[in-house]
Amino acid sequence: MGDDLNERIAKAQAELDAQARPSKNAVDGPGMSLGFRMAADFVAAIVVGGLLGFGIDALLHSSPWGLIVCLMLGFITGVWNVVRTAQKANRAASPPDGKAQ
Amino acid sequence: MLQVATDPMHQFQVTRLFDLHIGGVDISFTNSALFMVIGVLLIIGFFAWALSRPQTVPSRKQSLAEIWYGFVAGIVKDVNHEDGKPFVPLVFTIFSFIFVANMLGMLPNAFTSTSHIVVTGTMAIFTFLLVVVIGVWKNGFKFLKVFVPSGVPWYILWFVVIIEIFSFLSRPLSLGMRLFANMLGGHVALKVFAGFVPQLILGLGFIGGAMATVLVMPLVIGVTALELLVAFLQAYVFAILTCVYLNDALHPGGH
Repeated sequence: MGDDLNERIAKAQAELDAQARPSKNAVDGPGMSLGFRMAADFVAAIVVGGLLGFGIDALLHSSPWGLIVCLMLGFITGVWNVVRTAQKANRAASPPDGKAQ
Repeated sequence: MLQVATDPMHQFQVTRLFDLHIGGVDISFTNSALFMVIGVLLIIGFFAWALSRPQTVPSRKQSLAEIWYGFVAGIVKDVNHEDGKPFVPLVFTIFSFIFVANMLGMLPNAFTSTSHIVVTGTMAIFTFLLVVVIGVWKNGFKFLKVFVPSGVPWYILWFVVIIEIFSFLSRPLSLGMRLFANMLGGHVALKVFAGFVPQLILGLGFIGGAMATVLVMPLVIGVTALELLVAFLQAYVFAILTCVYLNDALHPGGH
């Protein structure tokens, strides 16, 4: 194949790239994948909090306070993760110049 | 025999195909490893076959390979823009491996490698370490900004930092657990629902058979379709989250 055609393809691609605005929607994907992410993020944060607290207790012999504090922090993190993901998805779904109701 | 047919956990048993001990370490070749090897060979074989004679106007097989690649490259481009170019092969490998391993697991009598947390956890920890290494390598100490979101008043900043550290540490667990739990749960559900059929027939005879036909089989078909969707979506989610995390490594603090 001639280089001429390759050049034209590259040029057309560059023009397309320039036109295409970054679609925020693609960052979050379809709703179902968003759901999978939220559920796992929520649970994982709590589990990590529990493990971290358990580890701190085992190291510092502070049972049960490390577990209690870290589990609560993990729970807060889990909720915060879900809220943040939802906020991002909402922002992506609403039109760029439209005001949120 | 019925025991085997209805035990939903039997399909996840890792068995040794042949023993292999090197230096006292047991690295026997298992059925899980076999299906991972089959998956990788399938991917390599497919792309070698589809792109063996590339044409400017693609043939059907070439078109399929290009759509596959374009899909993954599109994810990386949407999330990471121009900086993501070096990571396209990585994300492509992760996506293709998970997708093919999930799909192989949907075949009867096949083993689902991704239903074991050893496999998914290893990939998740690899991604996590990669993010840390790239973040520190590209940004140095500025990588710590990933824990300090901008625009937060100072009096709650310390608390937000703690939350962000928890959030960061939960990533590999969340990444590995989601894939493993979905594949495990889906296959158990499929097996349990399908197990109703022989149980109904053995227990209630003709009436049971009629019930299985009318009530259970549509359910099994539906769950199978859902599992095919989940198999794709989990690979997609893993790929997209790899990109999102890599974005944090490249631009810490710029949410």
